[in-house]
Amino acid sequence: MGNIQSISYFLPELMVIATVVVALIADLVYSDRNSYKVGYLVIAGLVVASFTLWLSLPEETTPIFLNTIVVDPFSRIFKFVFLLATFIVVLMSMNSDELKGVRTGEYYTLMAAMVLGMSLMASSVDLIMVYLSIEIVSIISFILAGYLRAQVRSNEAALKYVIYGAFSSGLMLYGLSLLYGLTGTTKLFQLSGSISSLGPGSNLTLTVSTILMLAGFGYKVAIVPFHFWTPDVYEGAPTPVTAYLSVAPKAAGFALLIRFFNTLFGTGQPLNSPVWQAMEGVPWQDILMVLAAVTMTVGNLVAIQQKNIKRLLAYSSIAHAGYILMGVPVLSQEGVYAIVFYIIVYLFMQLGAFSLAIVVSNRYGTEIIEEYSGIGWKSPYLGFFMAVFMFSLTGIPPTAGFIGKMYLFAALINGGSQFYWLAIIGVLNSVISLYYYMRVVKVMYFQGGREKDLYVPGGMSAAIVLAMAIPSIYFGVRWSFLADWVNSSLKFFIAGF
Amino acid sequence: MVNYGIAILLLPLMAFVVQIFIGKRLPRNGDWVSVSAVALTLCLSLAMFGVMLVKYDPEFSVDETWTWFDLGSLQVQIGILIDNVTVVMLLVVSLVSTLVHVYSTAYMEGDLRYSRYFAFLSLFTFSMNGIVLANNLLGIYIFWELVGLSSYLLIGHWFEKDSASDAAKKAFLVNRVGDIGMFIGIMLFFTATGSFLFRDVFAGVESGLLSTEILTVAGLCLFAGAIGKSAQFPLHVWLPDAMEGPTPVSALIHAATMVAAGVYLSFRLFPIFTPTALTVIAYIGGFTAIFAAIIAVTQNDIKKVLAYSTVSQLGYMILAVGVGAYTYGLFHLVTHAAFKAGLFLCSGSVIHAMHYAYHELHDHESDPQDMRNMGGMRDKMKTTFLTMLICTVALSGVPFTSGFLSKDAILAGTLSFTLHHPEHFLLVLFGFGAALLTAFYMFRLIFMTFYGEPVRREVYDNIHESPSAMTAPLVTLATLSFFLFFTLPYFNPFSDHGWFTVLIDSRDSVVPGHLNLTAHEIAEGMHHAHTPAMLLSILIAFSGIGLAVFMYLQKRISADHIAAKLSLPYKLSLNKFFVDETYQRYLINPSLILARMIAFFDWEIYDKYIVNGFGKVTEWFSRVVGIRWDYDILDQQIVDGVGRTTGFFSARLRLIQTGKVQNYLVWVLAGVIMIYVFQAI
Repeated sequence: MGNIQSISYFLPELMVIATVVVALIADLVYSDRNSYKVGYLVIAGLVVASFTLWLSLPEETTPIFLNTIVVDPFSRIFKFVFLLATFIVVLMSMNSDELKGVRTGEYYTLMAAMVLGMSLMASSVDLIMVYLSIEIVSIISFILAGYLRAQVRSNEAALKYVIYGAFSSGLMLYGLSLLYGLTGTTKLFQLSGSISSLGPGSNLTLTVSTILMLAGFGYKVAIVPFHFWTPDVYEGAPTPVTAYLSVAPKAAGFALLIRFFNTLFGTGQPLNSPVWQAMEGVPWQDILMVLAAVTMTVGNLVAIQQKNIKRLLAYSSIAHAGYILMGVPVLSQEGVYAIVFYIIVYLFMQLGAFSLAIVVSNRYGTEIIEEYSGIGWKSPYLGFFMAVFMFSLTGIPPTAGFIGKMYLFAALINGGSQFYWLAIIGVLNSVISLYYYMRVVKVMYFQGGREKDLYVPGGMSAAIVLAMAIPSIYFGVRWSFLADWVNSSLKFFIAGF
Repeated sequence: MVNYGIAILLLPLMAFVVQIFIGKRLPRNGDWVSVSAVALTLCLSLAMFGVMLVKYDPEFSVDETWTWFDLGSLQVQIGILIDNVTVVMLLVVSLVSTLVHVYSTAYMEGDLRYSRYFAFLSLFTFSMNGIVLANNLLGIYIFWELVGLSSYLLIGHWFEKDSASDAAKKAFLVNRVGDIGMFIGIMLFFTATGSFLFRDVFAGVESGLLSTEILTVAGLCLFAGAIGKSAQFPLHVWLPDAMEGPTPVSALIHAATMVAAGVYLSFRLFPIFTPTALTVIAYIGGFTAIFAAIIAVTQNDIKKVLAYSTVSQLGYMILAVGVGAYTYGLFHLVTHAAFKAGLFLCSGSVIHAMHYAYHELHDHESDPQDMRNMGGMRDKMKTTFLTMLICTVALSGVPFTSGFLSKDAILAGTLSFTLHHPEHFLLVLFGFGAALLTAFYMFRLIFMTFYGEPVRREVYDNIHESPSAMTAPLVTLATLSFFLFFTLPYFNPFSDHGWFTVLIDSRDSVVPGHLNLTAHEIAEGMHHAHTPAMLLSILIAFSGIGLAVFMYLQKRISADHIAAKLSLPYKLSLNKFFVDETYQRYLINPSLILARMIAFFDWEIYDKYIVNGFGKVTEWFSRVVGIRWDYDILDQQIVDGVGRTTGFFSARLRLIQTGKVQNYLVWVLAGVIMIYVFQAI
């Protein structure tokens, strides 16, 4: 479809772009003191964009902009996830003490721009678009991580992130160019056809190319061994940014990963067929399985040793990337379903835990887990909901985390006996994770003294925590609404062009 | 109607949430939140009641069902059933609850956990309404446990007292015994019929999905829940101990509503009980009625007398279910709720006054609940005395009261049952015997408390009538003890014919094979037995009262003398037939020994060696990976090594950052190569 006709399918993204432009101009007008008000503009813009997205036809599947990106239910649900995550993080940022005293107009503008990048990641079907969208997201992430220029650790985090990111995208670009060299096209669907017509002689090149591209994707979703940037950046970045990076770009990375591998290396079946065939020759399924196992094991084991809540959540997010990755090699609708479901659930519990960490840091001035002692009694509100998020992250019923994990494991078990070992490792990892999640709860409730005055967080902070906690519990009890929605969104654009 | 039901269900729940979280910070500790929420439910119940009277349709029923969750082959449905029984029960619950809430604002004034008390009271009201509104076994079970929980919390309200916390635990544990049976029963029906809904279960039973033997067992299992909750023998032991809770709680939960839940359940499920099950039920009820009445005769604690009296009256209701006169069991439930709640609240008023008097005299030793410390209080507490007298007359079954109508109907039903089945003559003896004893011990209570000479003059001088927030509920409940409210639009004090008997229609059994008497046959039999039963019961009530007059008012017969003569029965009654002691020796102690043995194995052997061993291995492994590898080697050697180098080249700041990240990048490349090597293998 040509550029002009495509615009009508691109309305939600256009709304985001308009938000960015308006925010940029507004930031020029506002004084330093009023710069934070850009946040309200961005929120309004995100609401409008969500509304436009909601009005778009849910069943529509069509390629647009000269077949570089597609509009389909799969990208639609992810766009909702990005909008929601950004919306929450903007609210969180406006209530964070860390960002007080800094000019934040630009900060909110960048967040809005990031939504655009992530939406493109979730819908690109062209190698160049894939690369561009990843770069949009990465570069904005670098700036956000280093937003507190006056702080050394924020600075350091950003610099490391830039170098690491540049290196990884270099590797990925190399992988993409090998692919282009083999087939002579950048369009995903044509690639898929061309690859199957290649002889076994190109298998080596294809494998190298796959691994190199995996390094790029793996860096985005923080898969071991491409995770080294994560703890440093997560600890150094302002907490709301950390929360954001651990949820939204990760979801975008998975959206891209799923679309990329299923289109490129599946045999071109539509997504709603029960089982797909993997392409012969490239053992990418085995690679992903091992990476999933290693990722969650390393993430969980190292998390046990962490003393800082942000570092703990950073490693825990690595572990969760491992859980989610389990669903990719299964190559079934059930697997993709479980991934999308888990990402949505993960959004609520991870952002909830981070928003609580912000409230605690605002009030008690600490990020050290040991200094959380007695919070369960000093502030029952914080203690209770932190416990809820920890239970949900561990995957204990009746929380949403349990349902998410259940679907992931169910997908593995139904996928066939070759996935059993991965499911067992996943379960063992859940047990290990229980140890460090429950330590937070233990410190809050079984250590430290009580205080006479109970602390109840005010207004927006309390509301964010509650807004994250309600779905974390509700989807653990009644998830049919979410399940139906995810199920109806499992449609790629699939036909060649 | 359904919307009304949902509102009635949710209002007290909202009050509970508000009270438990911010009650302490509200003015007056937030008691008005609970009181107004419950008062609103009362208004709604009255409105529903009005609608019911206007419709005047025995067949009226609204059944709304929703799917709770759907697991493919398994669909669990819950819903609300509103028929005449529901409406009447809702009115009873919300009326007594409202009065108790109002009464409590005075009775509990200045209590340390005032707002918590009201929170739990509201939680109870919510749960009780839930039982009444549920149209399915699962819903009943959930709310069943919730009323158990709120009962537990309220009995243990003064948990600083060991006796109170022990009583709370006992109530909870004893109820669990019954509830497990109930759960098994529910699952038996669910497995057989695939649904929790009453109508599906009934239809399943009617179509013969369960054999008669299984049906008997399943029905009795369900009834086990009722045995626990309604304190029937042998699970009655928790109710007298539950009197450790605040007296308004006893009035609401342990006299009028929660303990009646068992009767309500048996009423709802009557159509699926087999004749064998019903016989067992009748014997349990009848035996409990006489057994508890015998104990009540010798108790000296005013609340204990009322507690055993409640057990005994609940026995009556169960007996009514067992002999097929089950609508009259429900009738007795309704009338009893009013006058028994009234009695408890009156006793609360007396205790309140006694407590105050002792408090003024700085006497913390004497028991304000012991009737031997009372006497002559009728002059000082006129309202309390009069209302208590009216409630007592009603409980004793004297004509012109509501108690006369309902008790008389149950006795007529029992008589008719025995005429059909002469081999069950014991049931009649149980019924009439308990009626005699009831009249006797209730008037013994009245005479010991309100008549005679005060035991201590200085205490007597400090006795005052309770505040109007307490006496107003008493007057209301005493008024409702007259027959008129239950026989309208008719005015015959000797016939129970009225709106209740018209609107609450009895259903035929659905047990296949027509082994039971039909509702029509039962009604016919009762009609014939009515006159002799009525004459007999009037005679018996007055002989009981007369005996009490002789022994405790005129003291022509010495109670001590009789006690000495009948020393064995007296001791048995005074010590409650040693049921608690028997349980302690033969059930609790062996269980504790077993538990200690298992705990020893679990902790000393399994936990210390196997579980901790597993933990140690994991921790060691984590330390290796996390500290040795990630921290010691990667972080300390490589990363910090670079950092240490910085010490030498501190001027060249540039190198620090580059050096650090370079190492990361090496790992990325190493990772790519490792993956390649791996896939090649």
